[in-house]
Amino acid sequence: MNPKLSDDTVAGLPLSLGRAELLEEIMSTPVLDDRPAPTVRDERRPRGWLVPAAAAAVVAVLAAGTAWWAGSTGRAPESTPPVAAVPEPGSFRVVLDAPGWTIESAYEDSKNHSGEVGYVRGDASLQVNWYPASNYEDRFEDRRHITDPPSDGTPVEVLGLTGSMWAYSADDHTTILPVEERHFLEVRGSGMDQEEYLALLGQLRPVDVAGFDAALPEEFVAQSERGDAIGAILDEIAATAGRALPAGVSRSSVSSDQSDPYQLGAEVTGQVACAWVRQYAEARDAGDQDLAQQAVDVMATSRDWPVLDRMDRTGDWPESIWEISDRIAAGDVPEDYTQWLGCER
Amino acid sequence: MTDGREETFRRLYAAHFDAVLGFALRRTDRPEDAADVTGDTFLVAWRRLAHVPAGQEQRPWLYGVARRVLANHRRGDRRRTHLGERLRRELAAAVPDVSDGVVQRADVTAAMRRLSARDQEVLELHLWEGLEPREIAEVLGLTTVVVRPRLSRARARLRELLGNDPEPPGHDISRHPQLTRKERP
Repeated sequence: MNPKLSDDTVAGLPLSLGRAELLEEIMSTPVLDDRPAPTVRDERRPRGWLVPAAAAAVVAVLAAGTAWWAGSTGRAPESTPPVAAVPEPGSFRVVLDAPGWTIESAYEDSKNHSGEVGYVRGDASLQVNWYPASNYEDRFEDRRHITDPPSDGTPVEVLGLTGSMWAYSADDHTTILPVEERHFLEVRGSGMDQEEYLALLGQLRPVDVAGFDAALPEEFVAQSERGDAIGAILDEIAATAGRALPAGVSRSSVSSDQSDPYQLGAEVTGQVACAWVRQYAEARDAGDQDLAQQAVDVMATSRDWPVLDRMDRTGDWPESIWEISDRIAAGDVPEDYTQWLGCER
Repeated sequence: MTDGREETFRRLYAAHFDAVLGFALRRTDRPEDAADVTGDTFLVAWRRLAHVPAGQEQRPWLYGVARRVLANHRRGDRRRTHLGERLRRELAAAVPDVSDGVVQRADVTAAMRRLSARDQEVLELHLWEGLEPREIAEVLGLTTVVVRPRLSRARARLRELLGNDPEPPGHDISRHPQLTRKERP
């Protein structure tokens, strides 16, 4: 294995001739592909979820359950599927029905109409992302360059649609499906070969929000439980700090779309910290020492907030809150604190 | 072919050659492979110069290209462009003699190998290339909201494996981000 040299060390290597020669060699090659990115052929593609299995080149995903619209039999389609199988509006999310696979993480970005759910089994992982249709062309174009020369990928049939699959490596594949329901899906499987990956694609099942919630692990927070969960976090903070939010900031203003407890905790504590940092900044500018000190005092308790203690075992979000707390205690309001904390929701 | 185009590419090459070669060297077994990845990466940039972003986005873009080139090499695509023969020879001669100036200690490298491939990749981009979550997202074609928690979790896992944050090692590592570095959204 090559040593993991720093860029500075690389810069000091005696490579001047090779470096200069490579530059000239590259610039002497013809420019083959400097056209603007081609528009993706989505507009010419048949509409609807029920695109029939098409070309002979299609890699059929034959595992049971592939044809979600085939009903409880799980049989693969033999002809055009029944119209009644069109999923309910909003059913652009999918879940994985495969033994041994568990949801490790989930993220919902409702502002941008996107989200992610991550499944794991041992060292293998399957990540499902959904994005708004407006992102399709950029993402497809980006994935085309996984291969050299760029390609439209290998056609694969998933959920009754013909998607495009690319391999990052022998055990790392990704597939983009066409736009449906104003969204499109990308599914990436790592730590498994192509055969296993295709089998897993065949075990995806489209769901609406309720179906998605139902598939979440016990410790995740369903949409119907979210208000109570946010309230419980605010109560914990209030029990530690004396109060959870500054005067004039209502508890109902704190919201989150997250089901993953880590992400939910991050959004709630981010909004709480935003409110206090904002109070600190405004009070300091106004010369109101008491209100400024109140914000410092509340944030100083953040190292004892139970929610951050729980999250500290999973990731580093709590450190962001604690650093902000230390900064305002030192009289410093970071210019970009609203970005740090996700204040602009 | 215009002079403007060549001048633009020369500037790009001069500004990022060391970074792209470093990226490739840190991820390949043999110096010659790093030369190939570097040559192929800049060849893509030359052909697609109109798509190369400006300013600070250039380097993540190049890393993203290099990452795909590397993936092609790893999965056995040995089609050589026959560019950079001299660079291959110079690298093969120079790299084995270097023992200082590495970006991280061997124990950290070993611990990172125990992480999943995905965790390794975000950590490498953060620790070796010094990229922020936003830039990592550009390299990987993901969104920042996905990368940020993934990086957090990967760092937490590495800390668990090491028992603590690694001490700042010597040499050039001070110029690279450490595990204690705070993430920015």
